[in-house]
Amino acid sequence: MENPIIEVEGVIKYYGNSKEPSLNGINLSIYAGEKFGIFGPNGAGKTTLISILCDILQPTEGSVKYTVENQPLSVADILPQIGFVPQDFAFYAELTAKQNLHFFGGVYGLEKEVCKERTDSLLKTLGLDHVANKRVKTFSGGMKRRINLAIGLIHEPKIVFLDEPTVGVDVQSKMSIIQLLEDLNAKGTTLIYTSHHLREAEDFCSRVALMDHGKIIAVNTVPELLVEHKVANMEELMINLTGKQLRD
Amino acid sequence: MKKLLVSLKKELLLLVSDKMGLLLMYLMPLVLVFIITLVQNSAFKLVNENRLEMLIINHDEGTIGDSLIGHLKHSGDFNVEVLNQLDLSKLKKETLDRRKLISIYIPKDFSKGIHENSKRLSNLLLTEFGVVDAEKTTSIKGSTSQIDYFFDPILQENFRLSILTGVHTIIAGIENEDMIRYLFLDMGYDEIPPHIKNELMARQMPLNPVQIGDGADETLKVPNSSQHNVPAWSIFAMFFMVISLSGNVVKERLSGSFIRLQTIPSAFLMTIFSKILVYLFVALTQLGIMFSIGILVFPHIDLPGLELPDNMLGLMVISLLSAMAAISYSLLIGVYAKTQEQAGGFGAISIMIFAAIGGIWVPSFIMPEYMQSIGKISPLHWCIEGFYSLFLKNGTWTELSGSIVYLLLFIFICQVLTYLKLRIQNYI
Repeated sequence: MENPIIEVEGVIKYYGNSKEPSLNGINLSIYAGEKFGIFGPNGAGKTTLISILCDILQPTEGSVKYTVENQPLSVADILPQIGFVPQDFAFYAELTAKQNLHFFGGVYGLEKEVCKERTDSLLKTLGLDHVANKRVKTFSGGMKRRINLAIGLIHEPKIVFLDEPTVGVDVQSKMSIIQLLEDLNAKGTTLIYTSHHLREAEDFCSRVALMDHGKIIAVNTVPELLVEHKVANMEELMINLTGKQLRD
Repeated sequence: MKKLLVSLKKELLLLVSDKMGLLLMYLMPLVLVFIITLVQNSAFKLVNENRLEMLIINHDEGTIGDSLIGHLKHSGDFNVEVLNQLDLSKLKKETLDRRKLISIYIPKDFSKGIHENSKRLSNLLLTEFGVVDAEKTTSIKGSTSQIDYFFDPILQENFRLSILTGVHTIIAGIENEDMIRYLFLDMGYDEIPPHIKNELMARQMPLNPVQIGDGADETLKVPNSSQHNVPAWSIFAMFFMVISLSGNVVKERLSGSFIRLQTIPSAFLMTIFSKILVYLFVALTQLGIMFSIGILVFPHIDLPGLELPDNMLGLMVISLLSAMAAISYSLLIGVYAKTQEQAGGFGAISIMIFAAIGGIWVPSFIMPEYMQSIGKISPLHWCIEGFYSLFLKNGTWTELSGSIVYLLLFIFICQVLTYLKLRIQNYI
């Protein structure tokens, strides 16, 4: 069997002096070319897990291993091949869309011409070419979400981590984002995706992990999970597994 | 190198987009240095040139009143205006209306009174020596004539006393000369012999005023308002970058840009380094503009021009360390503040306090001793001390060493605390 591109072993994460772990013994394997979804209620540990996978946070215990084309890679080697699209708008609102993409392309080490080419292509694909020279602070929520995504893709990464990439956007922006991600995946990019929208899990993800209280409570393809738990859809599955109690 | 250039370009674009920050960093200090230097220059003139506005009414029927006025004018201490058509009852009002700090009323019997006193004293002395009869002396009455002085209440007590002492010294000189003249007249002379008169004129023990400095006296410069204000407000402007730079850091931290940069190899450190370089450029251009104004513009608006010190390398070192101290402090505030408002508010207020106690607004040497001691905790104090050493003394490396050591220590502490916070937050 093919080696997983990411292998998470026994990861535990405590924040500061907290006695409750945010992640409590995560074991997970993600394979190249997957559209892997991580779902769960608020506070389940999704963002913490993604942050550890991107080397933003260090686990208290456990390890994360990366293997690309059967070659084990260190964190320093894998980082240039990772694209990160955080839930928060991580760009410079005072700069234009083009200036943002040129900056992030530049710090990823792209050649000037390549960077320009990819900037134009991404802006066109995401319907932002007409506002390329406008400051991002003047953009609508959906446009900001799209430029946030474009920045994470400028260097054509092999693995893209997307933390709630469609939150707070209209259906048109959501379709544009999903279409771009489908296209990237078709070209071999591995996508690791978190969302509250369980419908997206059914439509988009090849495999999903359900999390609650810092643990993975189920991992499989969506159809198999539905059959296994004898439920009609992901929402029903989530309620069955995590309960109806409100979360902070 | 390519990454650094990209980061530098981004920082410059962010800087240019921050119009308010640019105004605060470049325009505010220019306005301040003009206003404060003009205001303080008057005070410096009042103290250093010591010409007080004086109004005199001279109703003296003799010549000594005119002689007193001549002495007062000749002393160089006063700008004297004489208005003999006024009477004593109007002098108070005229003093205030004409914005004079001091006024003097010389009564009509002033000369007569001086002569009577001199004559009586001369006779007393000669009686004591047995040259004239005692009966003749007792028939001469002393005068009760007096000079009235009026002072503006803004004049401080010690200043008032020194003016009175000065006027009394002049009157005493006139009285002494008159008394000696009567001595000679009573002894049968027509006038004081010229060689005695010359001796009397030259009799005062000369005083040789020497200003204290660390270096050779011939290179000593006298402080003026420009030499304080130009470096002082340049330092203030440099440290006021705290609003722009710390706000910039907080914004990037909170927006998530820092987190994204964490996932890009070496991008985070490159961003911090490029911020330091861009704001170093800002600080040095602030200094360059302010110094150019002091050198080129001030002499044309009746302000003392700034003269560059001989130790240009020392000037560069102090400028660079001052700029790095301002940048390091701003970064420190930027990484510890929780919001942009907190960074701006705390940053601005802390700089104002540092400026006040550090001798930026008013020079430290006129502060009470305990305030001078407290002021030493301010980094701005050590910056201005460095510039004082360069502009007012000789700026030798020994004189500069205190400022250099303190500023290096301050920069080191700020950078270490910044590093620790970023390390705890896993940015580096």
